[in-house]
Amino acid sequence: MARRAALLQALPSPAAESDGGQDRLRAVRRGAVPFGYLSPTVVLLMILMVIPIVMVIGYSLMDNVIMKKNPQLVGFKHYIDILTSDTFWSAASNTAFFTVVSVVAHLVIGLLFALMLNSPLLGGRTKAVFRTIYVLPWLFTVAIIAVLWRLLLDPNGVVNYLLTTTGLTGTQIEWLSSPETALFAVTFINIWSGYPFYMTSLLAGLQGIPGDYYEAAEVDGANAWQQFARITVPQLKPIIISMALLDFIWTTQQFALIWMTTGGGPLGTTEMLSTFTYKLAFTKYQFGTASAAAVIVLTISMVLAFFYVRAQRARD
Amino acid sequence: MRKKYLAGIAAATAALLATTGCSGAAAPSASAGGDVTLEFAQWWEPELPSGSLRALMDQFEQENQGIKVKLISGPYASTKEQVVAGAAAGTMSDVVGLDGAWISDFVKQGSLANLSDLMKAANYDDSQLAAQVKLNGSTWMIPVANFVYPMFVNEDLLKKAGVSEVPKTRTEFTAAAKAVSALGGNVAGWAMPLDTATPNGIQNDVMSWVWASGGSMLKDGKPYLTGNQDVKDVLDFTKALYDAGAITKGSFTMKEQDKVNEFTNGRVGMVIDSLAHVNTLREQNSKLNFTVSAIPVKDGYTGKGGIPYASWGIGVAANSTHQAEAFKLVSFLMSKDVNAKLCSAAKAFPGNNTAVPDFVSSDPVFKKAFEIYQASNVTNEFVGLPVAEDLMRSFDEEFQKFLAGKQSADDALAAAQKQWDAAFAG
Amino acid sequence: MSRRTRSTLARIGLIAALVIGAGYAALPVLWMLSSSFKPNTDIFAYPPQLIPQNFTWDAYAAIFTDPTKVRFFLNSYFVSLSVTVLTLLVAVLAAFAFSRFDFPFKKVLNVVIVSVQAVPPITLLIPYFGLIVFLGVYNTYQGLILTYLVFTLPYAIIMMTGYFNTLPRELDEAVKVDGGSSWTALWRILVPVSVPGLVSVGIYTFMIAWNEYLFALTLTKTPEMRTVPIGIQLLMGQHSYEWNQMMSMSILGCIPILLLFLFFQRYFIGGMTAGAVKN
Repeated sequence: MARRAALLQALPSPAAESDGGQDRLRAVRRGAVPFGYLSPTVVLLMILMVIPIVMVIGYSLMDNVIMKKNPQLVGFKHYIDILTSDTFWSAASNTAFFTVVSVVAHLVIGLLFALMLNSPLLGGRTKAVFRTIYVLPWLFTVAIIAVLWRLLLDPNGVVNYLLTTTGLTGTQIEWLSSPETALFAVTFINIWSGYPFYMTSLLAGLQGIPGDYYEAAEVDGANAWQQFARITVPQLKPIIISMALLDFIWTTQQFALIWMTTGGGPLGTTEMLSTFTYKLAFTKYQFGTASAAAVIVLTISMVLAFFYVRAQRARD
Repeated sequence: MRKKYLAGIAAATAALLATTGCSGAAAPSASAGGDVTLEFAQWWEPELPSGSLRALMDQFEQENQGIKVKLISGPYASTKEQVVAGAAAGTMSDVVGLDGAWISDFVKQGSLANLSDLMKAANYDDSQLAAQVKLNGSTWMIPVANFVYPMFVNEDLLKKAGVSEVPKTRTEFTAAAKAVSALGGNVAGWAMPLDTATPNGIQNDVMSWVWASGGSMLKDGKPYLTGNQDVKDVLDFTKALYDAGAITKGSFTMKEQDKVNEFTNGRVGMVIDSLAHVNTLREQNSKLNFTVSAIPVKDGYTGKGGIPYASWGIGVAANSTHQAEAFKLVSFLMSKDVNAKLCSAAKAFPGNNTAVPDFVSSDPVFKKAFEIYQASNVTNEFVGLPVAEDLMRSFDEEFQKFLAGKQSADDALAAAQKQWDAAFAG
Repeated sequence: MSRRTRSTLARIGLIAALVIGAGYAALPVLWMLSSSFKPNTDIFAYPPQLIPQNFTWDAYAAIFTDPTKVRFFLNSYFVSLSVTVLTLLVAVLAAFAFSRFDFPFKKVLNVVIVSVQAVPPITLLIPYFGLIVFLGVYNTYQGLILTYLVFTLPYAIIMMTGYFNTLPRELDEAVKVDGGSSWTALWRILVPVSVPGLVSVGIYTFMIAWNEYLFALTLTKTPEMRTVPIGIQLLMGQHSYEWNQMMSMSILGCIPILLLFLFFQRYFIGGMTAGAVKN
């Protein structure tokens, strides 16, 4: 508010001298300006996102939606069903593991690669070559990533071949089919396919840190680690927060990758909220319950979004 | 310009909210000139020799002036969601390809037209149909092409392992599977795909053993797992093989396609597999020396065996405005010559019981398979059951826990029984 | 040890690390490339063959000789490019509002924009589908474009807001002092300066639209409207997969994105969020 007032003062507006009524009109019109800019977004999101979401919320309170012509209102029954189901909680804990490990690993690998690619020790052409190679996992549709990794991680696949012929393991490992390794395997695949998003963004961020910050730190006798911790990380923090939020939301929804590699098995060890919801909707045809699961995920994300917005304001 | 457009959308949306989404407006499929255009949604076209389904449609258009057919192909794995969503939005195609395991759910949703009524209206003689999938006394799906699942045997591997005869009983099978696995390398005796995303393995590779020996997983149309000795025997039999390492690794997330790849590459001695694969196997590995045989039975069983099958079924959409024309297409596909032609292309057994596909007499493997087919009861108890895929999945999950040693066979069956009962009650 | 040897050693170590990293990133892709030149069975051969023993172009020929499949590519280009342009346009306007104005409900709107992406698409599918049919854009390019537009908008707005936030306010205020409107400030000053940010957000938008499967499948019907990811899934049959064609199709699919990346690399690396950390 204060900023806008300042802005108004700065403008050599002839209206300032005229009578108060017209002045107020102008202020109103000016207040409408941001909404003008926002109108396409608001209209699009309202119609195409908010309406379906409201319908999903409606479904979550009803029984037999979609499958029957006359669904009945059942209140919060579906929410109670879900929150008291063991499968939901194990799916939630798998999702939490999958998401947190993925996001952290994306960040670490993305940052590591970005730092390596940003090193002054390398020539521009070398960097360009490696940059292109490193961005490769980003270019494929999820279905093909799933199929490719199923091939690679097959008991008779390439990974086991390499491990057994080099003597690292004695027997073939059932990466995706053993309850002990499956969750790690799908998380690994997701890490592989997602780090370039961070890498490119952080690389961009690194270009933006003024060189004199580092020179000043060097003068103060800061070593490489201290420079990293005191300059690089704080400077990159705003990007990291935005990306981590987006990635968090996207990863909790990762469906196709899980579905096409393990289908939530073996023994439910890779069951995620997304696969759990899918099964409710399209094999049990309980769209009401599935919608309730979706609303729960939405609520959690809204809490996250709230903190994100607060963090952003603090930054401003 | 855009403002007007957006205002239009806003108004439309307000109206939509009032009708809570399910707009009953069916997609108009009539085109200009009084011609009727039928949409035929299926996953068959990509699986058939290129252009062969279209050629049949051209023939249909010629025989039925004024009706055009538009083929709509979708990926098999997504067909079910598309039908459910299409029925909810009223955009389902007039004629749809179906799998028997989905029927109960679609009937419940009201997405399919009653074929009994359509047959009556068209004075259709249904005695030529080999099978009809019925529910509540009416027909909803007609199997067009049937893919039976005999046992495929890699003769070279068996010979190498010193097994001279194709196993006929479970004991012989166990011995053969162990012998093949003992060959070492990464060769195994049997492959059992249990992936839970598409849990068809329960139907094709597990329950098939029960059916082959005359057993059943149902009693009076209700789930019968607890205390079912036939099913328990199969569980124990597979567990013994599993523990002995006679089954290809990776069972818990193996898909049907993986099983086929393993067999094609000569890494597995025996698999239960669709006859549709004979040509693929030959094309992809000409050196593979294989034969087909009936699924081995429990020791001492002499009755008629069951052989599992999967079908390409066909049905008509409830929201179709051209159901009579749609049924014409159905009866065209079921007619003797057309059905034989389609099944020859698909390497399937015909849904018309008078049709004889050409490959049956010309090819020794198919000839043998046809003999097995005729000597067995074609069985698939999952067809027509409510939430059939979910039944397979819950059984699969309990079965996996049993194989992993987390629960006993009785507990697995009791747990599956509980979930099946709940599904039947729902 | 002299400074020079130390820096040489550091360089060698760095290149070694980069090569290892490149193996992690690229070997799976290399395997995909090699598989696309194999007959189907050889893809499963054991021991695996990195260099195809029975080299064949069949998988590529099968795509180029099939007009339906070529059409998938054309559809994907058209849809993805349109989405990219529209998303950038709408997102720039919204990001400008978020970055340069204070207004009531700003916080609420921000939370909404972030969290609309949080509903699992699979549960949105049916109500969304009903809406699209109702609006009469089922099985049209408009339907797909609108859909991806709303999917990519939140991301694009978040990133572009961050980008605008880093540009000094003096830039646009100067325009206002000269009597120009905020509209002029946006298009004459902010947008030209933001090209790197636009390029990076644009490429990512393009990739989301290019790779989306579920809604593409549901919202289209006829083969003339299908996109590449559906084409890939159509090769996954009920009983067997056309592995080599799936591989070749995704290799072909990634080439345009790779070219885009190479072409815009200069901006991309300088862009994305480069400005976000400048003050």
